Amino acid sequence: MLTEKELQRYDRQIMIYGFGEEGQEKLKKARVFIAGAGGLGSPAAIYLAAAGIGTIRMADHDTVELSNLNRQVLHWDENIGEEKAESAVAKLQKLNSDIRIEAIGETLTEANASQLVADSDLIVDAMDNLPTRYLLNKTAIEKGIPFFHGAVYGFEGRAMTVIPGKSACLNCLYHGIAVPKVKFPVIGVTPAVIGCIQATEVIKYITGLGELLTGRLLNYDALSMKFTEFKVNRDPNCEHCGNL
Amino acid sequence: MSAEIELSSVFGRYTDKQLNIKVEGSTVGECLKDLFRQFPKLEKLLLTREGKLQHAYDIYINGESAYPEEMTKPVKDGDKLNIVFIIYGG
Repeated sequence: MLTEKELQRYDRQIMIYGFGEEGQEKLKKARVFIAGAGGLGSPAAIYLAAAGIGTIRMADHDTVELSNLNRQVLHWDENIGEEKAESAVAKLQKLNSDIRIEAIGETLTEANASQLVADSDLIVDAMDNLPTRYLLNKTAIEKGIPFFHGAVYGFEGRAMTVIPGKSACLNCLYHGIAVPKVKFPVIGVTPAVIGCIQATEVIKYITGLGELLTGRLLNYDALSMKFTEFKVNRDPNCEHCGNL
Repeated sequence: MSAEIELSSVFGRYTDKQLNIKVEGSTVGECLKDLFRQFPKLEKLLLTREGKLQHAYDIYINGESAYPEEMTKPVKDGDKLNIVFIIYGG
């Protein structure tokens, strides 16, 4: 049941055809795990908090550095040296005090990933390295949790939605290939676009509206301002989802 | 066979900013060979010393993945090829 305040706060989105109070109630009940409070996690979390997701869990083990501030818009000058998860939660709670937001300052590992995502309904992949992305993808598939992938490089970004057992996963897409982690170039507007696409997919999934980015890799090339789609099939031999 | 390779902007530094390249070839490998003939700097970027596609890249033909054995995949007249590299930044 939505309160009078919630009906007023979310009035404009409740007005959307097919959304209604029912859609808003679904958002209110949802628990979203956002892995990474950086360039992608910031816009994704901001728009999910503004939309009224009932519980958001922000996971990041890093501390805020000056070089983060060109893109990680949840962190400001005054937060340098603070834990990113805590810094993010403080801003999000100010944005929307009616929702529950939790900070998780732990490093995601094989040992704790399953427990950390625990009772979350959805996982947003806003990480900055492939090994943790694969780990989250595998965990999401094992637990049957929808997984919303996004990644950026320079002026280019990608997004894909994974429904375990139904659509291709991150491991199907990249064949488990590992590339060494190096410092990557990026300008803030790129993760802003991709993080918002991830948040859009989350909202669509929860409310049951529209067509998800499943089995499709969306590539965004900001310099030529082109969106291109690539078909991604499930790999029957995939080590993560081939057995489903 | 005449095909087109569409590159993302990040490759522009190797192709004099050209992103849509006409190539000749009846397989992906032949099309790439023609691409390298036109823009030699791309060969070292995309291929291993053994002439295989670097792990960090995937080839798509008309939006469909050519993985695995990309280099031998047939290419038809008018096909569009995309070279996609793995990105992981967040």
